[in-house]
Amino acid sequence: MRAIWDNIKGLYSLLVGMKITIVFLFSPRKTVHYPRKVVERENVENYRGPLELTRGKKDPAKTPCISCQLCVKACPGNCITVVKGKEGKAPSLWTYDFSYCCLCGACVETCPTGALAFSHRVYMVAKSREELLLDLLADLDDRVKKSPQLEAKTDAKSDAKSEAKTDSKADAKAGAPAKKDGEEPSPA
Amino acid sequence: MELSLLYFVKILVAVLAIIALMVGNAIVMVYVERKAAGFIQRRPGPYEVGPWGTLQAIVDSMKLLAKQIFVPANADYILFFLAPILAFFPVLLLFLPIPFGPYLTSWETPDGIILILAFAGFGVLSNLLGGWASNNKYGVLGAARAVSQSIAYEIPLILALLAVIYQAGTLNLSEIVEAQGSWPWQWNLVCQPLAFFIYLVSLVAETNRAPFDLPEAESELTAGFHTEYSGMGFALFFLAEYANMLLVSFVCATFFLGGYKGPILDGFWWTFIKAYLVMFFIVWIRWTFPRVRFDQLLNINWKWLLPLSLLNLWVTAIVIKVIG
Repeated sequence: MRAIWDNIKGLYSLLVGMKITIVFLFSPRKTVHYPRKVVERENVENYRGPLELTRGKKDPAKTPCISCQLCVKACPGNCITVVKGKEGKAPSLWTYDFSYCCLCGACVETCPTGALAFSHRVYMVAKSREELLLDLLADLDDRVKKSPQLEAKTDAKSDAKSEAKTDSKADAKAGAPAKKDGEEPSPA
Repeated sequence: MELSLLYFVKILVAVLAIIALMVGNAIVMVYVERKAAGFIQRRPGPYEVGPWGTLQAIVDSMKLLAKQIFVPANADYILFFLAPILAFFPVLLLFLPIPFGPYLTSWETPDGIILILAFAGFGVLSNLLGGWASNNKYGVLGAARAVSQSIAYEIPLILALLAVIYQAGTLNLSEIVEAQGSWPWQWNLVCQPLAFFIYLVSLVAETNRAPFDLPEAESELTAGFHTEYSGMGFALFFLAEYANMLLVSFVCATFFLGGYKGPILDGFWWTFIKAYLVMFFIVWIRWTFPRVRFDQLLNINWKWLLPLSLLNLWVTAIVIKVIG
């Protein structure tokens, strides 16, 4: 008797499911046609693309990296190479092999100055393995060239340990990397 | 039945029109189905070929025409090619007694529904032959499932139709339509709701559509009985599936939804509107429900549909005896 009643209740759940799909059938699409349109910025906020160096608090043109090598040791895939420069603590070479990176985030967590962050480059394309060996200092210079005036706002990002993303942060990030995302699909 | 030349020409024209209907239906329904699947999953569906992807189904069928027909080693050569033909051609015959409009019946026969139910068995036979002849374990499993499923579901399907036949007192499909009124509350849907529900469930199982598509369950059997078919062999199975869907939709419209009768202006358009609503329903539930397990499938049939349809038939018979 109980089983019979359960089966009849089950029929009701079928109707609920059918209602959901018919509503979805007539509601707007959630995906975009890729080559013509790209995903909006806020949809890729939590996307883990390749690493990028954040911009310094005092001098937005420079990285806050102090070449402490903690990220190099934390990396399970040994994909980071940091060479300290001659003057001060700033690195002279900062390369990162994206083909070995498992995007675990250990480097981002361990960085004492918050110099590392995941970029949101959804449409990154590489045609050879060598292209995945990224020079992050050059990448930082590119971004600085594109928007040198982007100042104190980037500070929010340097606090990589705070997971919660505030509105100001989202606004700040919408600058340089966003433009880059927009451009990448076109050659592809 | 006089066998004049005119009669012969009429049947010939009807068969040609039915072939055109079947192929056109398959092309339109493939597009509608893929588009509906996309929309239900909140994505655009086919979009690239032609405006809004409308040419996608045509391009796909061109691809199937051009593909190499591959025969697996140790396959039964004759049966392997016989199966898709046997799947497709009997369906032509099944459309003959269907009254599309008041004067638009290909072959007015007093035993229309018997013809349909008898020749519908060929679909199962072709699945069995196709699965067996491919010399493939998935094929054999799919064929075995097709047979046990179709045999099981044919019983409640026939019993559900039988309740309507009792009511109308005829096996002729045109007369069954005539026995119903023009307005929706005069249709058999209202006085035989249980039979309608049983028929609706059984037709999904009978046409091997999700959630009862166990003979071709992709996740378990790659493609079930048509795993080894490529090119036109596969296309014929595909056409037959859509033609079978169309057929059961037309039978549903004729038996339960008043056929060609509508509130205004009786005609073949009502049959088509109703049949395509049923088709849409089949597509809709395909993209809503997950596939059932095989024991669940048979449990639904033997423990629910069969007793319910017998009960329905019994009550119908008593009510007819008391009233009439």
